[in-house]
Amino acid sequence: MIEMNNISKVFRTDVVETHALRAFSLRVEPGEFVAITGHSGSGKTTFLNVAGLLEEFDGGTYHLEGQDVSRLSDNERSRIRNEKIGFIFQGFNLIPDLNIYDNVDAPLHYRRMPAAERHKRITAALERVGLSSRMKHLPSQLSGGQQQRAAIARAICGSPRVILADEPTGNLDTTMSEQIMELLQSINAGGTTILMVTHNPELAQRAHRQVHIVDGRIDQIHHFGTVQRASAAAGASA
Amino acid sequence: MLLHDTRLALRSLKRNPILSLLMIVTIAVGIAASMIAMTVYSARAGHPIPWKEDKLFAVTMDTRDEGPPPPGLPLRNYEYPPFTLGYQDAMAVYRSDIPRRSVVMYRTGQLVMPERANIKPFYVPVRVTTADFFAMFDVPFRYGGGWPRAADTTAEPVVVISKYLNDKLFGGVNSLGREITLGGRQFKIIGVLDAWMPHPRFYDLSGGGFDLPEDAFVPFEWVRAGKMFPQSISCVRRTSRVVNFESLFTEECLWLQSWVELADSAAHARFQDYVDNYVRDQKQRGRMPRPLNNRIVNVSTWLDMNNVVGDDTRMQVIVAVAFLVVCVLNTVGLILAKFLSAAPIAGLRRALGATRLDIVRQHLTEVVIMGLIGGALGLILSFGGLRLLHALIFSRGLETSDNPARLTLAQSFTHMDFSMLLLAVVLSVLTGILAGIYPAWRIGRLAPATFLKTQ
Ligand SMILES: Nc1ncnc2c1ncn2[C@@H]1O[C@H](COP(=O)(O)OP(=O)(O)OP(=O)(O)O)[C@@H](O)[C@H]1O
Ligand SMILES: [Mg+2]
Repeated sequence: MIEMNNISKVFRTDVVETHALRAFSLRVEPGEFVAITGHSGSGKTTFLNVAGLLEEFDGGTYHLEGQDVSRLSDNERSRIRNEKIGFIFQGFNLIPDLNIYDNVDAPLHYRRMPAAERHKRITAALERVGLSSRMKHLPSQLSGGQQQRAAIARAICGSPRVILADEPTGNLDTTMSEQIMELLQSINAGGTTILMVTHNPELAQRAHRQVHIVDGRIDQIHHFGTVQRASAAAGASA
Repeated sequence: MLLHDTRLALRSLKRNPILSLLMIVTIAVGIAASMIAMTVYSARAGHPIPWKEDKLFAVTMDTRDEGPPPPGLPLRNYEYPPFTLGYQDAMAVYRSDIPRRSVVMYRTGQLVMPERANIKPFYVPVRVTTADFFAMFDVPFRYGGGWPRAADTTAEPVVVISKYLNDKLFGGVNSLGREITLGGRQFKIIGVLDAWMPHPRFYDLSGGGFDLPEDAFVPFEWVRAGKMFPQSISCVRRTSRVVNFESLFTEECLWLQSWVELADSAAHARFQDYVDNYVRDQKQRGRMPRPLNNRIVNVSTWLDMNNVVGDDTRMQVIVAVAFLVVCVLNTVGLILAKFLSAAPIAGLRRALGATRLDIVRQHLTEVVIMGLIGGALGLILSFGGLRLLHALIFSRGLETSDNPARLTLAQSFTHMDFSMLLLAVVLSVLTGILAGIYPAWRIGRLAPATFLKTQ
């Protein structure tokens, strides 16, 4: 699914060079649920951004579903983000002046999908996250947990191969976090690969694997379970 | 896609109503200034008789003295020959049988003595001209027509009058065969013109180009028979002076317009030769010391040589467009700030699969819509501005005239026709694109991850 070898990512500003990822190698199997942990500034978001084709990398190779993504044009990267990847953010990142329905519609719109098909998918996704009755609400009219569920609906409505979630429960209390986690696990059970950054060790343990990053490198990998089909493969620098 | 972009754009405009309004008003003011200047420009820059562009030619000869221009003369286009001819030269042109039609003429003012007692005698501008005038310039007649060429040499007492004069003297009825007293003599009316307003009045630009045609037209020989003195005369020799009526025919003084209608370019070439040969012959006799410089020019060139549009009008357009550019540059900063403040959403859309082009197009649509709203507002402003311009400048002197054509003429300078409306639309879209292209491009180019983090 995801195969990174020796990825490096350097942020250069006028004053400093930050090595956000160094010799970063990771292989994620289809259907896996991987939790990413690490201290603040360790490079978790950077890893997700590289994995999600939001950020280019400086060295190494990255194959997504067998495809070498380093040679892709910006348009091709946009198309892959649109069709294969779903994003969930800590801050929900809903578009404030669109209602929930239109928010979920956004990725489908960029896929130039016919309206009837879009409608079917949006209602199904909102049904799945339990927000069917809130379609016409604006994000500001929903609770944090509801907003995050709307964001999940947006991430899954395009049937992505992988969901990248950056601290999806970071802004939520325990009950809400639990709801979100259950939702993610059920999505994963349907076969969607999930990479989730979290600071919560309990949640991390519910993944198949926990990848701990220190200073832009993989420090430890813990195995808690396996995907039915494939077995989790070890990263390079364990 | 367009519909979607438009919906997003309107939503975005509503998000910052004050800022949006500010930008729209800025654009509107810029467009209004440009539209006003361009309307006045286009009123002056029009072609009065385009269908005869390759047929009608004004005839000029360089009859001036040698040496530098006399002090006080505007230096602009000193290379052009004078725009009028002296009597002897005009007659030489008129004698040529190369042109299909040939007109020699000038403008004078004569007193009309009305028969009706309740109207006081009044002066009217009169054109003393050879017979071809009406056919050559496609002058429309309401009643009757012009005179035969023979009437030019015999000073036949016939007159063609304008619609205005016919309305004023005869209440607009068919007045053919009736008489009017012009300059103390009786003339029989053989023609009444329909409304006619060549714009500019190209055939005689001595009054600046934007005046009404004359109200009475009489055969050419009336210059002598009626001693009808021309309204403007310029003498090209320092020693030349008009001391009495006869001087008009003997001195080197210019007061006649000469126009020819030529069948084709071959005729033009032959006619040019004819005029050049005439001038060579005159040189042998010690006249016309300057190098050959006889220009036989079509209406466009003629208007251009006479600078009918005017440097002021051109300058106003340049200043107005420059102002619009300043307005656009001003909004570019505001638009960029606005776009950047909403950059996280653009970044989010990128993450969701929008391409750079999607983002650029969406943002550009917003600015183009702003341009169109600004354009609509600008049009309203320019209507107001043009009315004001009309009231303050162009309607001057209208109260003292009972000729409704004066009002039409005055209004023509501030009238926006369909093509100007179209221009306004084009200008609005262009303004939107110009103002939005850089900010939209900037937003499209930013890496998506950079904004996501800021949320
Ligand atoms: N755009 C950028 N420019 C410069 N440095 C950056 C940039 N983005 C990230 N960094 C640096 O890269 C390193 C890794 O950042 P990253 O955001 O991946 O950390 P993180 O593990 O997600 O932290 P947190 O848990 O606080 O979200 C940090 O030192 C950060 O300062
Ligand atoms: Mg982070």
